[in-house]
Parts: sequence; structure tokens; C-alpha cells
Amino acid sequence: MNVEAEKSMKRSDRRNVFAMNSGAFMRNLLHSGAATAGLIITVFYMLLALLDAVYPGYLGVHNDSTMLSFLSGGITSAPPTPPVFNQGWWYYFGTTTSQIPIFPSMLAALRFDLGYALLIVLAGAGVGLVFGAASGYFGGKIDELMMRITDIFLSVPLIPLAIAVTFFLGGTFSDMAYALVLVSWPSFARLARGETLHLRSQSFMEAAISAGSSRGRNVFVHVIPNVLSPIFVQASLGLGRIVLVFATLFFLGIVAGDPYMPELGQLLVMGEPWLVFGVWWPIVIPGIFLIVFIVGVNLFGDGMRDILDPKLRR
Amino acid sequence: MIPTLFGLTLLMFILERTIPNTILASQYLNPQSSLPQTIQLQNAYAQLGLNLPAPVQFLYYLNNIFHGNLGYMNSSYYSGSVASAIIQYFPNTAQLVIFSMMFTLLIAVPLGTYIGSKPGSVADHASRVFSITGFAIPAFWLGLMLQIGLGKGVLDSPLSVFPLGGIVSNSALPANLPSWLINPTTGGLSSSPTHMILFDSLIHGDFALAGNAFLHMVLPIITLTYALLAGLLRFIRSGMVDVASKEYIKTARAKGVPERIVVRRHMRKNAMIPAITVVALLIADLLGGVVITETIFRYPGMGLLSVNAAIEFEIYGVIGTTLVFGVIMVVANLVVDIVYAFMDPRIRY
Repeated sequence: MNVEAEKSMKRSDRRNVFAMNSGAFMRNLLHSGAATAGLIITVFYMLLALLDAVYPGYLGVHNDSTMLSFLSGGITSAPPTPPVFNQGWWYYFGTTTSQIPIFPSMLAALRFDLGYALLIVLAGAGVGLVFGAASGYFGGKIDELMMRITDIFLSVPLIPLAIAVTFFLGGTFSDMAYALVLVSWPSFARLARGETLHLRSQSFMEAAISAGSSRGRNVFVHVIPNVLSPIFVQASLGLGRIVLVFATLFFLGIVAGDPYMPELGQLLVMGEPWLVFGVWWPIVIPGIFLIVFIVGVNLFGDGMRDILDPKLRR
Repeated sequence: MIPTLFGLTLLMFILERTIPNTILASQYLNPQSSLPQTIQLQNAYAQLGLNLPAPVQFLYYLNNIFHGNLGYMNSSYYSGSVASAIIQYFPNTAQLVIFSMMFTLLIAVPLGTYIGSKPGSVADHASRVFSITGFAIPAFWLGLMLQIGLGKGVLDSPLSVFPLGGIVSNSALPANLPSWLINPTTGGLSSSPTHMILFDSLIHGDFALAGNAFLHMVLPIITLTYALLAGLLRFIRSGMVDVASKEYIKTARAKGVPERIVVRRHMRKNAMIPAITVVALLIADLLGGVVITETIFRYPGMGLLSVNAAIEFEIYGVIGTTLVFGVIMVVANLVVDIVYAFMDPRIRY
């Protein structure tokens, strides 16, 4: 038997997050202090992101149409004014370049980052899930070929590959989103394949096959729903990573386009030239905002993984 | 390994040929060549096989790679063939990677052993907090914070001694550059024989220059080491905790082996085996971190070259650097596999 299949046999006591009743799941999650903190932080950030949708104030303008006119050139012609700190509650965290208030910018950036990162992770997880489940289910030569393909994507470090793919797709924002899907699916495919190898040897699969279920039906109806829960955990851990890579690519300047894009990495780019004048808040505050979010998401993901796979908890 | 490298070149080929032929050819001009442009364009078409069917083009592509012909770039950081750009920039990256990896291992192995042998202690909880932040702090933000806190000229504190960027200060260079600091073909600054300025200046006995070069490396190394350390420390610790419940550890303690020897000989050696596989994954993170760190600290290495090529639309610069990153990682994985088999005699390939 395959080594990986053997490994996953040992994890056969893994419980399914979707099969577990939600009360038991929440009780398990809240049992761990770190996971609870992670859940609270994540929910808080989601609410903050919604706050921007309710009361948009990015660029210091509370009206969408005025904001568009600013984006189409109005603000770029204004001379850069030095940032100020703590001017009224809306400006509580001060302003960055061109007197853009930091607090509403962070909310807009969070909504933007979180929305796209969720889409990217879902797309990557979806592609990886189908690919990995098919690879593990069919086995043999097909499996060999499909795993070689994931090897290729995993053989280049994530950030250089993301830079190269973004560049060749055209270098705009949507190209970067596609590039991140392209670089994030292989890890999901690996995980799904390992789980599928384990499922294949179980008796319910034998029953399904002997009842005359087709191969496509087996993959989509029997394998994929059972692989979902570890993929879900991986996706929640991947969300933080994608947000980080997102901000990194913006910070490096790989994404061509609007210099006033509401994005956390772009906010740091706006603040960076003022750093030498002792203006610390446009860099430090969005940075801490981002770090707390990543910490929250990671704690929540770790907590979920511990519930699904108690043996990993140490 | 060979199929992976083949697939990697195929992926790069597909990415490259999404660009129209005319642009591909117009970027394939050697900025240092004296030939007229029309003839150079014809040569580019012939060299890349752009008028031929795609599979034949791929054979031309492989042929070019095997001959070290990665195209040309004309950016603000390098003007000339990509292969020579990589030869000039790669040693600087190697310098950073070697030191970061070394410091990571030097800190993580003893510290991981210590906190792993005392789970639940204050040090253990501190390390947990450290690794949570290590995964969450973006490298570019940490780099900026280090520049504020420790960089020369930002805050006036006694700790602000580290240069904000670059590889060596102009003032530290000798007034008349000795022959080992000058590149014989281009006449630019490039040290020999190793091309790593720190080691070269030590070899030639210029300790002031070596000190200055090291001072430039301190902040990038801290940035790179921080994230790596977080991952490795946690992993060594959990390996130690795992091993601690094994029967042979109980046996060793029961027969009266001193605790120090149990931890060092019996526990650590076994806990390191799973950690080695993590090192392979960390190399990927390290190379990704190099791109970010070098860009913030303007450290002239592969990462800066690749970002600069992407920003200034140098197709062959992006392809060349990405290929080299891929090759480094494939080779590093091979080395890790060999070390793994060496450390754990149960593994045979």
C-alpha cells in the first residue's frame, strides 16, 4: 500500500466538521482560549469590513460618486501634504499622504482584501479539491501525472512564482487575483489527494462501486463531501496567508494601476516616503491592524484543526 | 527531480509565449551589442525560433537554457545578458541565505531543545507567542520597523548604527579599488573570487570592508531569520514533546542516564528527524522572503533583480530569476532528501 495511504489510515478517527453537530463543534472550539480569541478577532474584523460598506469614508469622502471623481485624477493633482495625527474621531489614527484619513482607509482596505482573499481561497480550494480528489481516486498513471503537475507549481517559491505569473498575465489587479489562484491550488490538491487515498480503501466506497455508482458520481458524491472538512481548515489557514501575499505584492509594486487602491500593502506604500520625517503612524497603524487580523485568523484555523485532528494538538 | 525541472521550464515557456512575438523579439536585443537593430531583430527571431511551430519553439527554448542563454535585459539595475546579471547578483543572495539559515539553525536547535524538554514552562509560552507573531508579521513591515528602530539616521538613538540599505558603503571602499574588487569585463564593482563581498574582503584581509559589508547584512538577516525561526522552533519543540513519551526515553531515565544526556543524545537526535523535512519547506519561505527583504533594503540580489525586472517590464529578467529560484528549490529539496537518508538509516531510496 502507498505510504501516504498508510499515514492517513492512522488518522481514521478524524471527525467530520460538517457531520459534527454545530453545538459540539462550538463547545470544542470555545474550550480552547486561543481558538476563542481567534474567533472573536475574526468576527470583529468581518464586522469592521462591513462597517466600511455601511459608511464608506475612504479618501476622506463619504459619498461614492465624489470618491470616484477623486480617483479619476482630482486628488493626484493636489500637492502632497504632510500627514497629521489625531484630528477628531474620524481622523483618530491620523492621515497619510494627500490627507487621506487612515482609519476609514484601513476599513476600506480590509473589505477589499478580505473579499478578494476569500474569493481567491475559495477558487483555489475548489480547483485543488476537484483535482486532488480525481487524482487520488483514479490512481495509477493519471495520479502520477497529476501529482507531477502540482510538483511543478510547488517547486517555485510562492512569492517569485506569484510575481512571474502576475507579470505575464498582464500585471493588473485582476491578473494578480488569477495568479494567486494559480499558485494556491496545489497545496489543496495535495491534501485532497491524501484524504482520497484513505477514503478509497473504506467499505462505503466498495459498497458504492458494487452498487454500480459511476466513477464521476463516486468522485463528486462520495469522495468530495468527505474531503471537505480538512480542506476547510486548510482554507481558513490559507486565508491569512493570501492576505499577506496580497499586501506583499502591492507593497513590492508588482501590481500596476491605481496608486490609491484601498489595500493594506498600498497604504504602507503611501506612508513609506514620510517615514524619514519621523511620521510613523501611516506605517505602524495599518501594519498592526494587519498583524492582529492574521493572528486572529491563524488562531481560529489552528483551533479548528485541533478539533478535527486531536492528535496534532501538543 | 528531472521531470519537475522539465515541467518548470515548460511552465515558464508557456508564460513567456503569452507575450506577442514582436515584443518578445524586441526585448531580446543586447543593449551592449553594436549590430544594427534590424539585424539583431532577425537574430532574435532565429534564436528563439519564433517563426516555427510551438513545440519546436520549446526545443529552441530548452537549447537556449542549456547554453546559458537566458535573453537580455536593460533595466536600471542591470543592462546586458540575464545570465551575467544572475552571475553578478546571485552570490549576494547566497550570502544572505547562508547567514540567515545558519543563524536560524544556531538559535532554533538549542532553544527548541530547551523549551521542548520543558513543555508548559514560561519559556514555552513565550515561544508560542513568538511563533504566532512570526507567522503573522509581514516581512516588509518588519523590515520597515527595523529601519525605523535601528536604521542609521531615522531615530537618533545609540542603537541606530545599521545602514538603511545597499551592500557596502561607498566611504568604506578603498580610494583606489584593488583589482579583486573590479570586474575585468564590465569595469564595475564586483569582487572575486567568490563574488560574495564579505568573504572576499576577509580572504584579501580587508577587515574594515568586511565589517561594513556585515553591518549592511544585519537588518536583512534579522528580517529573514525572524519568520524562519518561528516555524522551525515550533516544529523542533513539538518533535521533542513527541519523543519524550517514547519507551526508550523512559528506559534511559530508568537506568539512570543523566537528564542532560537524555535530552541531548536520546531526545534531540530523534526530534531532529521530522524537523529536517520542515527545513525543505522553510527554504521556500526563505527564498520568498529574500524577494521582499532585498527590495526593502535595496540589497542587490536575485530578489531585487526579479522585482525590478517585473516593474520595468523586462520579460527575460523575470523568466531567468524565476527559473533560478525554481532550480535552487529543487536542488535544496534534493539535498534535504539526502541529508534525511543520512540522518535516519531506516530511510532508503
